[in-house]
Amino acid sequence: MKVMVCLKQVPHQDARLDVNADGTWIQEDNIKFEINSYDTYAVEEALRLKDAGDAEVVVVSIGPDRVTAALRTALGMGADRAVHVNDAAAQGADALGIAKILAAVAKEEGADVIFAGLMAEDDNASAIPPMVAELLGFPSATGVLATDFSADTVTVERELEGGALEVVELPKPCLIAIQSGANQVRYASLKGIMQAKKKPVDVKTLADLGLAESASAAQNKTTVNKVYVPAKGDTAEILSGSTDEVVGQLVTKIKELGLL
Amino acid sequence: MGTILVVAEIQKGAIRDASYELVAAARGIEGAEVNGLVIGSGVGDLASEFASKGAGKTLVVDDPAAANYNVDVWSKAIKAAAEASGADLILISNTPTGWDVAPRIAAGLDCAFVSDAIRVAGGDGGYNLVRRIFNGKLDAEVSTSGKTVASMQPGAGTAYEGSSDGGTEALSTDLSAIAKFVEIKIAASTGVDLTKADVIVSGGRGVGDPEKFPEIIQPLADALGGAMGASRPVVDAGWLDHPYQVGSSGQIVAPKLYIAAGISGAIQHLVGMKASNFIVAINKDPDAPIFEVADVGIVADLFDIVPALSEAVKAAKG
Repeated sequence: MKVMVCLKQVPHQDARLDVNADGTWIQEDNIKFEINSYDTYAVEEALRLKDAGDAEVVVVSIGPDRVTAALRTALGMGADRAVHVNDAAAQGADALGIAKILAAVAKEEGADVIFAGLMAEDDNASAIPPMVAELLGFPSATGVLATDFSADTVTVERELEGGALEVVELPKPCLIAIQSGANQVRYASLKGIMQAKKKPVDVKTLADLGLAESASAAQNKTTVNKVYVPAKGDTAEILSGSTDEVVGQLVTKIKELGLL
Repeated sequence: MGTILVVAEIQKGAIRDASYELVAAARGIEGAEVNGLVIGSGVGDLASEFASKGAGKTLVVDDPAAANYNVDVWSKAIKAAAEASGADLILISNTPTGWDVAPRIAAGLDCAFVSDAIRVAGGDGGYNLVRRIFNGKLDAEVSTSGKTVASMQPGAGTAYEGSSDGGTEALSTDLSAIAKFVEIKIAASTGVDLTKADVIVSGGRGVGDPEKFPEIIQPLADALGGAMGASRPVVDAGWLDHPYQVGSSGQIVAPKLYIAAGISGAIQHLVGMKASNFIVAINKDPDAPIFEVADVGIVADLFDIVPALSEAVKAAKG
């Protein structure tokens, strides 16, 4: 079984976020990047399938040279191969453009199951995975906390609100967008990292995928015009002073609430 | 502006407030005609209600196949309704239903898509929307060209409270599905019921270490006679079990006092606690979104403040 995992490399969760010079994204120079946390759960879910049987796990990412580090990490965790779509024309492509690229890779790979994270920590969009499924004509499920594979189908549990779960059965081929917390993600072992250096990373351009005219940023139907720090609304009364002074003020407030 | 199709969502036998928030958003767009869509089985009365409470002319896909949510059924029904209404904007709530189906509609129609928007307005040949990025730390203004599918953040706007003319119209279309609904499971109760606590002290990623919860967070909760909670990243990392999670996918709480320590305030957490009577936020980052919902904020290291507060509370009780 061929299992594909879609990976996005995003700014590290503790990275400093400064708006860039033209005000349309953040300043990416000199900040740390990491695999989108949701996607790490997707990689883990795929590796568990591999551990259980005969799955080949291919990780796919789109982005500039720095993305290689994310792919190497996933290979170090145990993925078999990587595909890196590295093409300046794809930089800034909207969700549908990225979905078209991922769908083309999935077709080329003949993926039976596609895993992705529910959303990305940077743009918080949760847009791409169901788009990929639609483009391929695959059934899909999002926000998945548990998977149970049989020969021809996957039964998944989707997280709804208030602790409810929706159980859905998807025939293969299918796409599953994993919710964070679905599993305990393994770390890349030292041995894994050493082995990863020998694993293949196929670098592709949009032209290689036959998408030069259809999936580049020039085709965007959605454009980010401006990124900014939100105006503060009714913000909190900020207590200031030494620790003792601040704590004293808080205790007074708690007394006023009748809780002391 | 053209026609806006507002997709209703039914929860516990009623149309959700979030659906009326979509109606208000659609009605706020100058010159637009608003149409509704209700999908389900035996939903004729709900569709009439939606039509008269703001959605205007409402299409109804009323079919046993739609008795439970199914991604393929919804995808086909919404695409058919988009065509029937000639809508150039399709609005859906960014709920587990919305994020499951909305991107599929956009890909199927090969049109623009914007998710989790907090505002929407007419634009030049499309729509202009505002959405939160980086877990609420930044906002983005996004414009679309041509037909647009947008999901809106529940609670970002207020629900429409006016009335409207417009009857319902049955829409029948192919609803065959590949995905198969099996059942809804309710997670077993575990005895941690934060909804009954008068005081909740929650820790976030800023607590940094699972051992710090019993050492630092729980003692303050105990001193105040309250309960300990946590944000999603803490539970995802396995530091605390899911029942401690406050947020849209955990427990929705409204205690008399909520203390958030080391929690930046991602929307999914805010949804779960912003109705609290009094909110105290303790965070090193002065720009953390949590300060926007807090009544009182302390920009400091929680490891300085929380233990000192525990001692001061104990001392105050005598």
